[in-house]
Amino acid sequence: MFTCKQVSNALSKEDYEKMPPLRRFFLRLHVKLCVFCGKYNRQVMDSQDMCRCYREHEITSEETFAQYRPQMEPLKKDQLKELLASQSK
Amino acid sequence: MTEKPEPKVPVTPPEQWVDKYGDYLYGFAMSRLRNPDAANDCVQDTFLAGIKALERFDGSRDIKFWLRGIMRNKIVDQIRKSIKENKVDIEAEDEALLESFWFKYSGIATTNPDPWQFNPRKSYDNGEFWIVFEKCIAQVKDPAREAFVLRVLEDQTTEEVCKAMDITPNYLWVLLHRAREQLKLLLEASWTGENVK
Repeated sequence: MFTCKQVSNALSKEDYEKMPPLRRFFLRLHVKLCVFCGKYNRQVMDSQDMCRCYREHEITSEETFAQYRPQMEPLKKDQLKELLASQSK
Repeated sequence: MTEKPEPKVPVTPPEQWVDKYGDYLYGFAMSRLRNPDAANDCVQDTFLAGIKALERFDGSRDIKFWLRGIMRNKIVDQIRKSIKENKVDIEAEDEALLESFWFKYSGIATTNPDPWQFNPRKSYDNGEFWIVFEKCIAQVKDPAREAFVLRVLEDQTTEEVCKAMDITPNYLWVLLHRAREQLKLLLEASWTGENVK
């Protein structure tokens, strides 16, 4: 079994979903049962889940993001087009 | 004069990249950097690096995503540059946290963080939630936001982030803790979708 400090260190270094299955199982078990670090590390795991989902949505819901994200200024686009044309000749 | 290397598969010519992918890459860079000048530089560096590396493009994925892969490195470079200009100093409050009994004993800041005001998992399928999430990340204060972007969103290792930010792993942990804390508060204040108490 892990100690609280080992669980906290492991979660600060890697996404728990990427851990080997057995390690992930014991880590989850510790977080579920521990009265000391359970609440805290559960939220760390929630945050990892959230960021993983966000990165997936960035790809799958690209059009939704495109509606809200800022766009390049036309002047900057023209300057960049000129630069790329000269570079790709 | 040397000949331009040709890509292995047919691709959109670089002259059309700005019109086709400029806005997409700029928006992506802004979501990580939130600085228009840095985002413009990032797009430019990405396209130039893309032209140089074009002969290595094998067509296994859309060129847009290939360019975004290049851009991830450019984003890390831009954040590194910004950190060099504004050196990260450890704050007194954070120093106290690092010296606290709980941190030394268990590696955590507190045993009882406040529970979520809503269950975020239930909002994961709602596209609007991720837009709010992205806006909230942009409001997290630097250097916690920069640490969060590098470590969590760009998946850099602890060692790489510590080197880029010139901080210790313990302080990186504190910055990530601060970022998560702020993000949670911002989400609770901003998200008004279903499943909110």
